[in-house]
Amino acid sequence: MIDAVLQAARVAPALRQQSLVMDLERLGTLVPSRLSFARSLIRQMARQRWQITQEYFALDDGGYGEVIYRVQTPHGRYHVVIFSQHITDEERTDRVIANAWDVTFGLVEGDVEDSLFTTLAENVPLQEAGRQHPRLLVISRANKSLRNFEVFVQALAAGKQPPVQAIREVGYLYRTTAVYGNGKFGIADYGRLQGNPDFRYPFSAQMTAVYVLRQFSIDQAEHLARVAAPETAVPLANKLQRYLGIGNSTGLGMAPFLIRHPQLINQWIHAREQALATAKAQIPSELSRERLLALCLRAQRYLDETSVENTAQAERNATVVEELTDIIPWLEQIALHETLWQQLTDWSEAAQTTDTQELLNTLLIELYPESVDMLEDAMAVEEKLELIPDMPLVQLKQVIETQFDWALSEDFEAPEAKHWFWYQSVEKEEPRLGVRGVDPGENKELPLAIAPRVQRSYAALTEFLQGNPKALTIDFLLAQPKHMESIRRIQTMATTAYGEIQGNLWHRDMKPMHLLRAKLSFLGANRFDPRGDRWVRVTFFQGAPLIDELNGEPTDLFAFDDWSYALAPTDLKVGEDFDTVENHESLV
Amino acid sequence: MKVSFNELQGLSRKAFIGIGFAEGHADDAADMVTWMESYDLHGLEALNLGLEHLIGEDPDTYPEILYQDSDLAVVDGHNLSVLRACNLALELAFAKARSRGLSVIKIRRCRQRQLIMGYLARLSARGMNVTAFWRNAQSPLTEQVVGFRANSTVPSIRVYAVEEVPEENEPNDGITLFMANHVDLLPTMRSDFKYDLLAKHDESELLAVRERAMTSGIEVSGELWLRLKELAQYALVESFDASRLGAGPAE
Repeated sequence: MIDAVLQAARVAPALRQQSLVMDLERLGTLVPSRLSFARSLIRQMARQRWQITQEYFALDDGGYGEVIYRVQTPHGRYHVVIFSQHITDEERTDRVIANAWDVTFGLVEGDVEDSLFTTLAENVPLQEAGRQHPRLLVISRANKSLRNFEVFVQALAAGKQPPVQAIREVGYLYRTTAVYGNGKFGIADYGRLQGNPDFRYPFSAQMTAVYVLRQFSIDQAEHLARVAAPETAVPLANKLQRYLGIGNSTGLGMAPFLIRHPQLINQWIHAREQALATAKAQIPSELSRERLLALCLRAQRYLDETSVENTAQAERNATVVEELTDIIPWLEQIALHETLWQQLTDWSEAAQTTDTQELLNTLLIELYPESVDMLEDAMAVEEKLELIPDMPLVQLKQVIETQFDWALSEDFEAPEAKHWFWYQSVEKEEPRLGVRGVDPGENKELPLAIAPRVQRSYAALTEFLQGNPKALTIDFLLAQPKHMESIRRIQTMATTAYGEIQGNLWHRDMKPMHLLRAKLSFLGANRFDPRGDRWVRVTFFQGAPLIDELNGEPTDLFAFDDWSYALAPTDLKVGEDFDTVENHESLV
Repeated sequence: MKVSFNELQGLSRKAFIGIGFAEGHADDAADMVTWMESYDLHGLEALNLGLEHLIGEDPDTYPEILYQDSDLAVVDGHNLSVLRACNLALELAFAKARSRGLSVIKIRRCRQRQLIMGYLARLSARGMNVTAFWRNAQSPLTEQVVGFRANSTVPSIRVYAVEEVPEENEPNDGITLFMANHVDLLPTMRSDFKYDLLAKHDESELLAVRERAMTSGIEVSGELWLRLKELAQYALVESFDASRLGAGPAE
């Protein structure tokens, strides 16, 4: 074990340095890649010929009621059960402290018998306040984008298609506000999924539920259009269905997850870095260059088309668009050389923003599915921090000095370095930030900031060593038990290449948004639109194949998987699209 | 009421933090209780029986080493629950066994001894053969032996009553632990003296119980659940209008 710690300290040369990759601000520029869970799920669904069908549809004229979709895989059968209800505008909030939502839903393992349906109907709409059934793998809730929903229903009822611009501005009809798995409120434990081949990737059950909700949003809008004008209503054009994603609104609640699951984060980042190192080591061909150029152009157009409300994010997107403009001619003109990808990333790293660097890395990973996709099997891990009690204390001290130098270098005497503290509110245990010395709750601080804990333990063990130079780790901990958690985290994480986020979560200038974005990118979210630095709205599955396409059992799996950076349909006329019979050829 | 494994673990952890357990020690205590209950070994019952005592314990008191050499240690548990205090004593036994092949640790004066099994499971998962032995001062006198094979998280357990015991006045409030790097220490009943086997749990039976708990959830009394929730509240901060801004401005 001790050898393993020392071994892991020598990061493989092909991989990027921990200090570069795990910098909090850089993590805040990550974008989804082909290893993100939404992408992996769609690939798996296509490969395994999943079939998703609407089994029960009981919405009234207001769009309220229940809908059930069946998800059939080679290994099992599941159902997504959706409850739609009327709520007032005052009740509609994305925060975790909400008590009512436009829709609530869950992914059920197996069939939905009448008795189970009754239990679900009584509890799923209550979410945290309900007692959920252990056959539920996921529960979630979502609120309407009122703006888009109205526009969509009115247009479809009038026999027209909604304007593409509406999706460019808000990429969805519904946005989820929490998607719960792993035993929350009585639902099935993650342990139940570990032996299940359908959901062996992290968050794949959650992603499945969200993917089906996207179909519900389309079905419900079309239903309401038919109710409003049965004579004139038309279905939503396939191209617009494809361009429609499902939104998500995320706040600080996501931040503690990244700190409390360092081994999982290590798996994710390590897989991404391995993919990047693998891609950069490939010898470029004319074909791969053309593919990269096409991806750059697509990403550029995607960012150009995507409108976000947050000014700073809009400026960042504009900068990436500009910087991609520099990459494209360079890539077109330079001679093919076996180190081309390395040259490209070196140049980008030296001359471009981190946003562009990480986007470019993601596009490079996209080029080599046959070498990269197998890494999705390495994304899961059982989180277990373990002590190495027999490690000589002097060796532990060295490990901290070499592996946690980033934590030791922070000056916690400076007021700005200890400005914030994290805590949980009694209101639905919502994580919040307070100003140290000003706001109440400091005595109940959540220990999310790793750097000060490492520093405290380092100072204590250094002092202990002076009187006990031959001490083992366990000797120190028996004398000072409160350092146990910090020490076993240090010992465990020192064996990993990545995992510890190198940032001071107390610092006045720390942006929680970076934490949220890092996780969301691995889930597969795009179109980041922050609300301040503690909330963000994102979109999942925009451009993803539709359920009908999946049910058609695609044969070209490469094309089926190639849906990142969804572009607005170009052959639709704004507001007037598909209003003639001839143009209905692509409708469902 | 039925709860999930993760839910029980999460609430227990928060309750232990509310009681004053340090970070990490609260996780371990929650793991120990939940582990027991997931195998239907009455972890919650043991927790419930000793909960008020646990709440009254001094959070800054930890076990103390009375004697140790390379192979042996005697630890004073200060009449604390094993939940609060025994994880590090067990890590000491682990370190000694790693170094010397076999170690023996006696933890004197400790409470809720049943709950120690969860941490033993953790050590066996790290490649250690582990056996724990303790006596209950009931009439008749009972003894309990719990053994874990290295790399298995499921124990073999024997509980038996003994009759032919020489007169002695030592208190039966301790645990004796044996750890061995390479030798299997599973309990097998073999005795020339009379005993009554009261309980016997083997690995396969316990695995089936665990599977059921993961499928159907874990039964918890509503009263205990509420008590744990109350304790967990101590770790939360009151909410007021300004504090809501701590999660960011309303949308």
